[in-house]
Amino acid sequence: MALTDLRGWMPADAVVVNGRPGLTWMDMSGVRLAEPFFQQTVDKLKATDPNRLELFTEFDTLVQLEKQFDSVPPSGFIFHSSRCGSTLLANACRALDGAVVLSEPPAVDKLIARFITDVDENRTKETLYSIFLRAVVSALGQKRFGDERHLFLKFACCSVSQIERIRRIWPNVPWVFLYRDPVETIVSNIQNLPAWLQDEDHRVLASITGTSPDEVAAMTPEELCARAIGSFFATACGAHRIANDRALLLNYSQLTLTEIANVLEFFGVKPAAAERETIARQIQKYSKAASGERAFIADAEAKQLAASDLVHEMAKRWANSSYQLLEQYRGGNQSS
Amino acid sequence: MNATNLTIGKNVVVTDFDGGEGILVDLNTKRYYQLNETAMLVWRGLEQGKSVNEIVNDVTASYEVEPEHATTSVQRLLDSFQTYKLVSAK
Repeated sequence: MALTDLRGWMPADAVVVNGRPGLTWMDMSGVRLAEPFFQQTVDKLKATDPNRLELFTEFDTLVQLEKQFDSVPPSGFIFHSSRCGSTLLANACRALDGAVVLSEPPAVDKLIARFITDVDENRTKETLYSIFLRAVVSALGQKRFGDERHLFLKFACCSVSQIERIRRIWPNVPWVFLYRDPVETIVSNIQNLPAWLQDEDHRVLASITGTSPDEVAAMTPEELCARAIGSFFATACGAHRIANDRALLLNYSQLTLTEIANVLEFFGVKPAAAERETIARQIQKYSKAASGERAFIADAEAKQLAASDLVHEMAKRWANSSYQLLEQYRGGNQSS
Repeated sequence: MNATNLTIGKNVVVTDFDGGEGILVDLNTKRYYQLNETAMLVWRGLEQGKSVNEIVNDVTASYEVEPEHATTSVQRLLDSFQTYKLVSAK
């Protein structure tokens, strides 16, 4: 298959096949990324069209392809600390005319994880993964319909740990960091344990929490979650201090139509009246359901009531101080 | 030797990063080579068919370095490119 035949294909995952690291590509011609998560679109495609072609290539193919793609450059990045409204914000971006929203595409976040698991003192690997990451985003941001004008990328929560490396690749792209009260975040994660907290390769979480893989394996979910989100908060604080006018902090408690519209304007896109109406309808729905039919129920109070003593203790020990610091910076954001 | 006597391998892809650095990919061997800013300057000179003297001039115009030292460095880089079969004599 010639390289030009891969136009319209997207990197569905970063994998290792027979010891060779590379990408699984999927023919996504004619497919809009309409679901709240990239993986939901891939899963839906596999279920409805099992004969759709897939292909493995090593990374060198990606480097060649980057020069050939006609892609939309990123308009805005969404970082978050998990369970804090980032999917709602990504869905709001999707309501904009001409928007492509990449919501936690596995190829992106797995490449970012390799900054942690496969980069040592040798800067060549860091540069290589940065180039692959740039090229993967370019491949995912291809103009496949011709009407694409904005590209938004929502990273998985753990990727905020590598925000400085990401900013080095795209220094001018504005970004927002969403977060939520630590007790509510921990309760939400414990009630429905996400994949990132169950990762059996503990190296990423060890790096994030400043511990060893063995220590991560021995932690309760409450402690692991509290230490991870505390680290996310602290990293976002540090990055925000440097990024200044390129960065915005947003608390879950602020997620109103007006605030969401402000974020979109911060990303350089002023939503039209019809787009605001669509976003207003989205706010009423549970953001992560692919069907878009489940109603959203405000649950901050319920989460606080459901918090165990252990959750409170872990939040206090590992996350509260960096959360308070973020809140101070956010206050500065609003007053400036 | 003139740089214009060297041909860049058809199997080599270059991509830049971070304003000046770059990576060369040899598609035959699947090997990657990281180039610093100076090496990228030399590579770009090769791509443009410049002579060794012209590339040396580019280097001395961009960095505070004596022409003799720049000439030695450029020649050493060209030799390395040949050793790794990233370029070949015409």
